[in-house]
Amino acid sequence: MFFITYLRRELRRRMRQAIFIALGLALGIGLVVTVTAASAGVRKAQSDVLKSLYGVGTDVTVTGAAPRSFRPGSAPPKGAQQFMLGPGGAQVCQNGKCHSAAGMTIDHLSPQNYGPISQSNVAAVAALKDVKAAVGGLTLTDDGVKIPKNFGKPGSGSAPPQPNSFNVDGVDTSHLSMGPLSAGTIASGRSLTSADANSNVAVVDSGYAKTHKLKAGKKVSIAGHSFTVVGIVTQPQSGAPPDMYIPLDRAQALGTNPRTGKSLRNEVNTIYVTAASASDISVVQSEISKLLPHATVTTAASLASQVTGSASSAAKLANDLGKWLSILVLIAAFAVASLLTMAAVARRVREFGTLKALGWRSSRIIAQVIGESVAIGIVGGAVGVALGIAGAKIIDAVAPNLTASIATGTGQRVQTAGGGGGAQSFTPNVTHTVAVPMSVSVTAGVIVVAVLLAIAGGLLAGSFGGWRIARLRPADALARVA
Amino acid sequence: MYQLTDVTKLYSKGRRTVPAVRDLTLTIGDGEWLAVQGRTGHGKSTLLNLLGGLDRPTSGSIEFDGKNLAKLRENQVNRVRATSIGFIFQTFNLVSTLSAAENVEAALIPLRVHAAERHRRVAAALESVGLADRSRHLPGEMSGGQQQRVAIARALVKEPKVLLADEPTGNLDEDTRDEIITLLARLWRERGLTLVLVTHDTAIAQLAQRVGVMSKGHLTVHGGASQPTATGARQSAGTDAQQLGDPDPAQPVTPGSMQSAASDTRTD
Repeated sequence: MFFITYLRRELRRRMRQAIFIALGLALGIGLVVTVTAASAGVRKAQSDVLKSLYGVGTDVTVTGAAPRSFRPGSAPPKGAQQFMLGPGGAQVCQNGKCHSAAGMTIDHLSPQNYGPISQSNVAAVAALKDVKAAVGGLTLTDDGVKIPKNFGKPGSGSAPPQPNSFNVDGVDTSHLSMGPLSAGTIASGRSLTSADANSNVAVVDSGYAKTHKLKAGKKVSIAGHSFTVVGIVTQPQSGAPPDMYIPLDRAQALGTNPRTGKSLRNEVNTIYVTAASASDISVVQSEISKLLPHATVTTAASLASQVTGSASSAAKLANDLGKWLSILVLIAAFAVASLLTMAAVARRVREFGTLKALGWRSSRIIAQVIGESVAIGIVGGAVGVALGIAGAKIIDAVAPNLTASIATGTGQRVQTAGGGGGAQSFTPNVTHTVAVPMSVSVTAGVIVVAVLLAIAGGLLAGSFGGWRIARLRPADALARVA
Repeated sequence: MYQLTDVTKLYSKGRRTVPAVRDLTLTIGDGEWLAVQGRTGHGKSTLLNLLGGLDRPTSGSIEFDGKNLAKLRENQVNRVRATSIGFIFQTFNLVSTLSAAENVEAALIPLRVHAAERHRRVAAALESVGLADRSRHLPGEMSGGQQQRVAIARALVKEPKVLLADEPTGNLDEDTRDEIITLLARLWRERGLTLVLVTHDTAIAQLAQRVGVMSKGHLTVHGGASQPTATGARQSAGTDAQQLGDPDPAQPVTPGSMQSAASDTRTD
């Protein structure tokens, strides 16, 4: 085909210039591919973090207002249980009445990060116009401690008791497709089912199970009750998923509100919401905020903005510096390609004038020039994709695990015994830090975009040349250089 | 073939308007060989561009086979050039990256001729100019004379009605010049071409049936053959064309014969 022959011969003639243009485009496209792949890797890591926290399919999470902290020295709220050290040794006090805690095992299952929300609100949220589904859950912490007999008595020399804490999530077994258990994979045994609603059964996180040598069929104690482990679940990231999942009804029955000392029946502290469509998420957020003004309403987007740590820094680096660097290099490459193509056209004025004299239409000559530019662009694109994949592989190989930290609540309250006999309280760090392996991969979509960019670069450069050819009058073209 | 009526071509040079061709009225018959002489800058190449549809007149009409080139749309003029007009340039104007055969083939591209037919016609054209064995050579690998032969093959491969030659021997030595002119004369006779040849060389001009001299945009034509064809010129001995130097097909043009025909009227 004459078009190809002519194109090939011309590119061979100005091979050095063609290589220069192709390399410029390759550099720009390689950067785009690498940065896009890295961004996608970081975004995936962030998404995994969020999924591990809230499960798949959840667009909006509603959590109860965090309980207020005690002020040290202030009177505890009515019904709250206090562990105190006094001259007579360790004591447990409730509503002003104290009794010795010596030799006692204290085991509480209570919400620590989020305040309770009435379960009727779950149905109210589910009934909102733009909500597809809503399901409640209880995020609780089991704090167990065995008090030595002589602990706190002068001269006893007893070491302070070591509390045993783990996180328990009450899961609505009739809606298992949402919530924190939905993102996990059952490694052994089985998941919870709707038949388990009133059973003392638990699914244990694989990390916790490994540390505590638990497997399906074993027993665990939750709030002083024996639960059978029916399955081991692995969450997408090994950060801080709940240690155990139990049926919501059981969590409500066994959990106590530390402020009132009452059970959590008909209460949840987290509502997982799926919007009718992705575009409705902000509307849903606003509707829920109106319905539950004291609750915290979080979307995946707002949660993502709270993610800190190296994953977040990497995302910023990829999005800001990487994106702008790619755009700048691409613009420079396109500009150089366009200028060199115009220069090449200027040098070939007599050639094009001759072709016009032979009866070639301007469009045919322009197509020839654009064909040459696009061919260079495709070569540049191919090299660019190869460079981009190599760059992504290098990042994949040398990038350390990223860490993502996210605050999941405020005002978690833990009371501890103070040496002076008074109660002390503090607010521990309630930040989840997750180690995220960064997997950079080049997708077919990125390659398609890269090839389209290369073709666009070629078309742009060729169009500048074509514009010049279109304006060329054959007599002038022949006279100018003759 | 051609009927030019009151053709004027003006160029703008800054604020000045320069007339390249003024009020030119001319008839060129089918199969006629017209040589155009004149000093540099007096409008010879402009006239050739106007005849080839490479430029449009400022006023007047240029009828080619009944069509006014001045009024045709660009794509229509392109079509006329592609089918009916062959060009030969002083500097050969071959595409340096294409072989001899591919340069000749380029003239057939606008005609959308099938590849096999293109190759057949290219081979025949190169054969007719004696370059069958050089078809794969690039222009840079050929002498000036050979390059001009390729250019002639390119001009003739589409079997045009008109051949417009702008100083075709201007870049050649004398021997090669004679060789090229002999070739042109032979092809003109054999194919019944209308040949308009711009030249500074009086010896070459005198081989034509008529000689026109351009001076300050005006053309003065000498010689009386306004209608004879190349075929007709060959067949009727004693015509004006022969008196003006129509080469005898049996007797190739030689340097000696051309020099004897040359006069002191060389204009450059």
